[in-house]
Amino acid sequence: MSRDTALRIAAYGLAIAVSAFFVFPYLWMISASFKSTEAILTEPLQLIPDSLSFKAYRDIAVMSGVGLGTYVWNSLWITLASTVITLLSTGFGAYALYRAPKLPGFGLLRVGFLLVIMYPYMLLVMPVYLVMFKLGLLGTVTGIILFLSVGPIQFFLFEQFFRSIPREVIEAARMDRASETRILFRVVAPMARPVVVTVTLITILLNWAQWFPILVISRSTDTYTLPVALLSLNSELGVNFQGIMALATLTTLPVILVYLATQKYVIEGMISGAVKG
Amino acid sequence: MTTRANAPSVSVLARRWLGENATFYLFAAPFAALTIVMGLWPIALSIQTSFTESYTALSPQPTYVGFANYIEVFGDPVFTKSAWLTLRYTVLAVVLNLVIALFYAMFLSSVLLSRGAWIFKLCCFLPVVTPDVAGYIVWKWMYSGDFGAVNAALTALGLPEFGGVSQVSTVTLAILIAEMWYHVGFYVVIFLANFAMLDRTLDEAAHLDKAGFWRKFTRVTLPQLRPAITINSIYALIQFLKTFTVVVVITKGGPGTATNFVSYYAYRQFDQAQYGTATAMATILFSVIMVLAFALYWYNQRRDWR
Repeated sequence: MSRDTALRIAAYGLAIAVSAFFVFPYLWMISASFKSTEAILTEPLQLIPDSLSFKAYRDIAVMSGVGLGTYVWNSLWITLASTVITLLSTGFGAYALYRAPKLPGFGLLRVGFLLVIMYPYMLLVMPVYLVMFKLGLLGTVTGIILFLSVGPIQFFLFEQFFRSIPREVIEAARMDRASETRILFRVVAPMARPVVVTVTLITILLNWAQWFPILVISRSTDTYTLPVALLSLNSELGVNFQGIMALATLTTLPVILVYLATQKYVIEGMISGAVKG
Repeated sequence: MTTRANAPSVSVLARRWLGENATFYLFAAPFAALTIVMGLWPIALSIQTSFTESYTALSPQPTYVGFANYIEVFGDPVFTKSAWLTLRYTVLAVVLNLVIALFYAMFLSSVLLSRGAWIFKLCCFLPVVTPDVAGYIVWKWMYSGDFGAVNAALTALGLPEFGGVSQVSTVTLAILIAEMWYHVGFYVVIFLANFAMLDRTLDEAAHLDKAGFWRKFTRVTLPQLRPAITINSIYALIQFLKTFTVVVVITKGGPGTATNFVSYYAYRQFDQAQYGTATAMATILFSVIMVLAFALYWYNQRRDWR
């Protein structure tokens, strides 16, 4: 009995230590953003500073001539718009490909899509520069939003859900001579709530974190989002360490909150998307 | 054949077919447009560009040079070194991440942690969903010699200082740790899902047979984990072969060329308007990833049949 208890305590101790490894960088980041320079140099490990300093947040109010508000707005707008487009295009697309897989062209579309998601993402971004150049969308928010709307795992999540609908449900509606649009909106859509929530959450998290396509498509800092602004602040000369930590905190904290509030959806969605893909 | 007369004419059939299927084409249209314009077109352009002279790549009539870019890339000692670095790093990272993820998932699903294991799962998955740029920037500063947490902690414990990302001898380990911190939670959670599906009666049978831990692990547990091992190894392989963000954020390929991995080198070439060689490198890396992913998939499938 006592040996069992000791084992348990040791196990929880180890699990807490490993978890601390994952969480510590976030705590250190938040803490550093509120520290004075002296506190950082003398006590780099102290997580709760003796006095709070908001100087770092005032310092990043304007970066390379662009206000922090612009980056926040770009992040919100680009994330929101690309999430909506991803949701609609992959949702309807997966539904069509699931219901009528034998229609001419649909088989080819599926193979094409698989090829696209297997192509290493950062290598896809480089030629996207050429595509944006040809489309005249270089440096535009529209170009960024459209590129981010090509979602890798969203299609699979939707497809998996459609496959789980009993065939009889759709057949019954067809017998009643309901139109395809009606079947989708009146029969399938009401059942799709959970998958829509999952896909929305995952897409928001993925697109909020995007930086490389935004950097490549952008022509000036005007279209930067928070992670891209963070990256460019980080590569400036004469670094402002606390400022970087403050911006990193602003970039990360909203995501952490969304994740903590919806963790079950997010984790399960990501796994089933991966297993399927 | 009088029945023919009663059959609907071809045009009526076509109209009915279109009426039934136009909706599906309409539904698929935005998805198809995005896949083609933002996916297939850039891939095609990339392959096309890899056969053209760099400075003519953006012009309407690029000059085609055959395999010259590929020959140049393979003759470039920086690229050859970069390719070896990438392979070595990938092998290290895949093995490290999967072994640690496997044992950590096994640990988290053990009876010892019957309560509260979800909190530990939540913690290790946290980096996976947060922006990678922010995470790696924090790691970059944690490795800093002046006030980084890593060396402060080592000094406090009386251990020697860690060179971090400023020395060739330690930079690989430093970014391996940072990347593991970011990615390993994903592999852990995939393993955990597989552990939840294990057949417990086999465990008991092994117990009755007085099988030791290692024997039970290799004969009973591992074979049942094949689905998770397959998925994780393919994902990890693709993930680490294209290692990029961590290099951009923390090392910029250095010190020297110690972390100048292929994807980063290709990007630098692209940034310097060397479009031809950059896209040639991209195509090479893509081919390697495809071949490896399929080989791995095929290998695991084949073992299943035995």
